[in-house]
Amino acid sequence: MIPALKTSAKNGQSITSWEEDEYMDTLVEIQDVTKVIKGRTIIDSVSFDVKKGEVFGFLGPNGAGKTTTIRMLVGLIGITSGDIKILGSSIKTDFEKAVSHIGAIVENPEMYKFLSGYQNLIHYARMSKGVTKEKIDETVELIGLTDRIHDKVRTYSLGMRQRLGLAQCLLHDPQILVLDEPTNGLDPAGIREIRDHLRMLARDRDMAVIVSSHLLSEMEMMCDRIGIIQNGKLIDVQHINDFVQGNEKVYEVEVDDPDKAQRMLKSIYPELPIQVTENSVFLPLVRDGIPEMIKEFVRTDVKIFAVREVTKTLEDRFLEVTEFKGGAGHARTDSK
Amino acid sequence: MPGLIQNEWMKIFRRPGTYVMIGLLLIMTTVAGAFIKYQESGGTVPDNTEWKRGLQTQNESYQKQLEEMGEMVPRDMKEQYQREIALNKYRIQHDISPNEEYSIWGFVSDTSQLIEFAGLFTIIIAGGIVASEFTWGTIKLLLIRPIKRVKILGAKYITVILFGLMLLAVLFGYSALLGGLLFGFPEKAIPYLYYYNGTVQEQSMGLHLIAYYGLKSINMLMLATMAFMISAVFRNSSLAIGLSLFLMFMGGQVTRLIAMKYDWAKYSLFANTDLLQYYEGVPMVQGMTLGFSIMNILIYFLLFQVLAFYVFNKRDVSA
Repeated sequence: MIPALKTSAKNGQSITSWEEDEYMDTLVEIQDVTKVIKGRTIIDSVSFDVKKGEVFGFLGPNGAGKTTTIRMLVGLIGITSGDIKILGSSIKTDFEKAVSHIGAIVENPEMYKFLSGYQNLIHYARMSKGVTKEKIDETVELIGLTDRIHDKVRTYSLGMRQRLGLAQCLLHDPQILVLDEPTNGLDPAGIREIRDHLRMLARDRDMAVIVSSHLLSEMEMMCDRIGIIQNGKLIDVQHINDFVQGNEKVYEVEVDDPDKAQRMLKSIYPELPIQVTENSVFLPLVRDGIPEMIKEFVRTDVKIFAVREVTKTLEDRFLEVTEFKGGAGHARTDSK
Repeated sequence: MPGLIQNEWMKIFRRPGTYVMIGLLLIMTTVAGAFIKYQESGGTVPDNTEWKRGLQTQNESYQKQLEEMGEMVPRDMKEQYQREIALNKYRIQHDISPNEEYSIWGFVSDTSQLIEFAGLFTIIIAGGIVASEFTWGTIKLLLIRPIKRVKILGAKYITVILFGLMLLAVLFGYSALLGGLLFGFPEKAIPYLYYYNGTVQEQSMGLHLIAYYGLKSINMLMLATMAFMISAVFRNSSLAIGLSLFLMFMGGQVTRLIAMKYDWAKYSLFANTDLLQYYEGVPMVQGMTLGFSIMNILIYFLLFQVLAFYVFNKRDVSA
């Protein structure tokens, strides 16, 4: 569904290539955005695009600049240089138009506790053009709060508040959904619910969804693409599958004599990092290299019991990327 | 914009505290009414056949004092005496007795003291209206709507002013109602006399009281504006409310003290918010005029607004 997008982000210079007609599908363009607060560069020329129907994950350790970037996206924080375009309208110069396409929850959805859920929605409905009573009822129905909507928000559980938050950002039928840490503080059932909602919205309504999180497992299940941010720099943007796997995959080969196998492999692929366990060897390979490798094993009379692909988790990959590309050595830097 | 004001109005009136404020205002008016009624029934209506003579002697004694003291007499006392003499002369000439019976008008005029409390409540609302959004965390969801921040803040300010005016209307309306019930209407309409620029003029009582309330509420509205500014700039409602209340109770006094020694006190906000001083009293510093005070009020008003709007518009919402 989503055309493969080749994006290489190095020092914020993003080279993005696509075919002409896909221009229409790009809903959010973040162009070389920098934020400096009191002489400190919080965000350093970050650029990326988000397209229709895609869930874009924004991943990074605490304090890396996820929240700041998201707040710049919705106009809560000013942009020092660069620009953010929402459906072609700049958030800087054409705020009202740009923001009218966005629905957002920034961190926890704080509602007016002394108002009922319904009154909260009325409050926000009055602030957007053309939100009817029917639309409010419909949204309430969608997020499944119909029974409790006339109760005071004070009496809601965190999950219900989160759902009300979702209702609030869906009222004006936005094309872009921005969620900052949407699953913070939710129990597994709540997390799952939010995840299902997001997936459904992106798929059925063709919305672009931007989610930030530091929970890797979360992102793995929710997102189509993820951007990794560290120390204010966007260090990588990849498809979730490419990202998890990288270009090479690691294969585990179960053999009768691992030491012999290792000696043989060393002689053929001298620079490959090969790991040996009691009855198997691990080596990174591209898919096309597998038959060649098996041939070699057979030739040197090593018995093969199994060849398995080792799936890397997002976590492994994340730590790998933040360590190598960020240059900081540690994924966790200063906290918020 | 009407929707935004409606929103703010809803957020004020969905909180029980607001009703407590209005309730307190009504209770205080009621207590004042009961107290005055009780006192009145104990006293007797003064004998008023000889009032012209009385005023005459009063004038003579004022005149004598002024002459005796000559240059020694303080400026404000002198002006006070001149005003009294002019008013008394006018009464004698036009046959307007000073001994009117206490009626609805007297009561409405007396309850204008409670404008201070209306001011207090307006300051509480003004101090919280922006700062609370920050403490509740709702500011984030409020500012990501397709509405410019200037409009949101503007709606909040208009709501504060509307709230203040509503309290004034409640106070005025309830006082008039209660006054009418307890003390009745005067048999014949007595005009109100005021002294401005050396001449005495007549005005209808109802009109006078509305003007009186209006002028008295300038102080309250200016302080509410200040509380609103502090609320928007510092995002701290306690600071906004505390500082504004302190200045409301102390500002006038302190300015008066400074004014005794220094002329520049006339540039203080509090020397200027009481426009009644030009009609019923003596300006705080010599040489102050109505125009000067209005200018000053406008300058302070603009200063507060510019500060509030500039800071609010530029602010990074990051907490």
